[in-house]
Amino acid sequence: MIAETESVKGENKLKFGLFLGCNIPFNRPDVEQAMRKIFPALGVEIDDLKGQSCCPTWGTMPSIDIVAWCAVAARNLCLGEEKGIDLMTACNSCYGSLNEARHKMLTNPEIHKSVNEILAKIGKKYEGKSKCRHVAWVLYKDVGLEKIKESIKYTLDDITIAVQPGCHFLWPSNVYPDKEEDPFNPKVLRELCEALGAEAPYYSKLVDCCGMGALRSTDPEKSFTLVKEKLECIKDELDADMIVTTCSSCLIQLDDAQERLRKEGKLNFSIPVLHYVQLLALCMGFDPGQVAGISVTPRDEIINRIIKG
Amino acid sequence: MIEPEEGVPTVLNLSEIAEREKEEEEKVVEIVREFGAENLIYCMQCGSCAAVCPLARVGFEWYNKKLIKALLLGLKEELLDDPTPWACVACNRCTEVCPRLVSPFEVMFAVRRMMVEEFAIPTLAIEGLRALYEYGHAVYMTGREARKKVGLPEKPPSTDSDEQALKDLKTILKNTKLAELGLIPMND
Repeated sequence: MIAETESVKGENKLKFGLFLGCNIPFNRPDVEQAMRKIFPALGVEIDDLKGQSCCPTWGTMPSIDIVAWCAVAARNLCLGEEKGIDLMTACNSCYGSLNEARHKMLTNPEIHKSVNEILAKIGKKYEGKSKCRHVAWVLYKDVGLEKIKESIKYTLDDITIAVQPGCHFLWPSNVYPDKEEDPFNPKVLRELCEALGAEAPYYSKLVDCCGMGALRSTDPEKSFTLVKEKLECIKDELDADMIVTTCSSCLIQLDDAQERLRKEGKLNFSIPVLHYVQLLALCMGFDPGQVAGISVTPRDEIINRIIKG
Repeated sequence: MIEPEEGVPTVLNLSEIAEREKEEEEKVVEIVREFGAENLIYCMQCGSCAAVCPLARVGFEWYNKKLIKALLLGLKEELLDDPTPWACVACNRCTEVCPRLVSPFEVMFAVRRMMVEEFAIPTLAIEGLRALYEYGHAVYMTGREARKKVGLPEKPPSTDSDEQALKDLKTILKNTKLAELGLIPMND
């Protein structure tokens, strides 16, 4: 049903609506700034999607009612559709919620009809054309690894990265515009990191959940069990110099929970965490204070190593 | 309930409870199917979903496979006080591996929707809904200083800085089930 994966290329120029979500603009605005720096420099035009809102995230409308969920998602998707462009996001939750909602509308005419009846009250209609792409896929498929390699000022020689694609980058694969060959052995983020000169090997808990989101707000203790296991695996199997993720929730959890575990004496090491767009922005030479200036677990050492070689 | 022997923890006997609540059975299955878990009845209890579920890993009581079994047996009251459905991270590992296309994620969320009708909704979820309605964002509206620090305008180009867009979003929300439920004030 959702066959088309080509994004809109007006006059051969890539253009996307930058869908921010909530965590990025309000908790990790350095990720937003990183996107605003890298995409224009890579020849990708950004539209602000003025008036966008929460996707809506899982604990809100998806927990109340399916049509209500799809209606909020559709208003956001309309903002792109009205301009003939797709959205792109650096938040896995937004990627998941928007694409699952779109899938529901396209596969269930009744839901689609009810949504458009609600949208009519604000003079909008969602045709189902615009979708939400993930920034990592845009970089991988539309920009391309070669262009990324050409654009960087610093390479990550002798740096080992533990990748964390995050749940909604992968599953359920049938609702997404782009999918890994094997969603339980994802390669895209590893290749994106390797394009910067780093090693990004497989590790046994690569696709394991970080424990963020509803799990953390419901039971922090259980959430920290998951993140601790993951961090210890990363330390033991890779002794990684940093963790790189394509999800803003994983970023917050791996960065923030790490510090909490250290304070409680449950963890005796520290691994800096970055979103991939931040790492790319650093390699392209943008100001670290602007594109990677907010973290709980210290990043200064690894940033200096990247910049000073 | 099976009488526990000394030192043996109490076991919840699902079949026994189901016997008791037989008349409820069809009703609960129909409710959750109505709320989005349409394929629930195709579950054959193979356990693929439980094998990949983060909630099952860390010991939540009503993880996907067990929740589906309970629903098929007609249980409802036992589920209403439990936080498990609200801990689901919606990761959809279960949906990916289910050989019967049940989509256990949809079951988890259908149970959330059923719980909402009974007002068994966590305070944090209410706060999220309130923030969504008030600002269009389901987070605490801190971070304005952080935005300035990294060289961005204080407000993003969202409903946070666009009155008409926020009004539109509120109109949408007022025309959904959220308004019928009366969980949050939606007067303006």
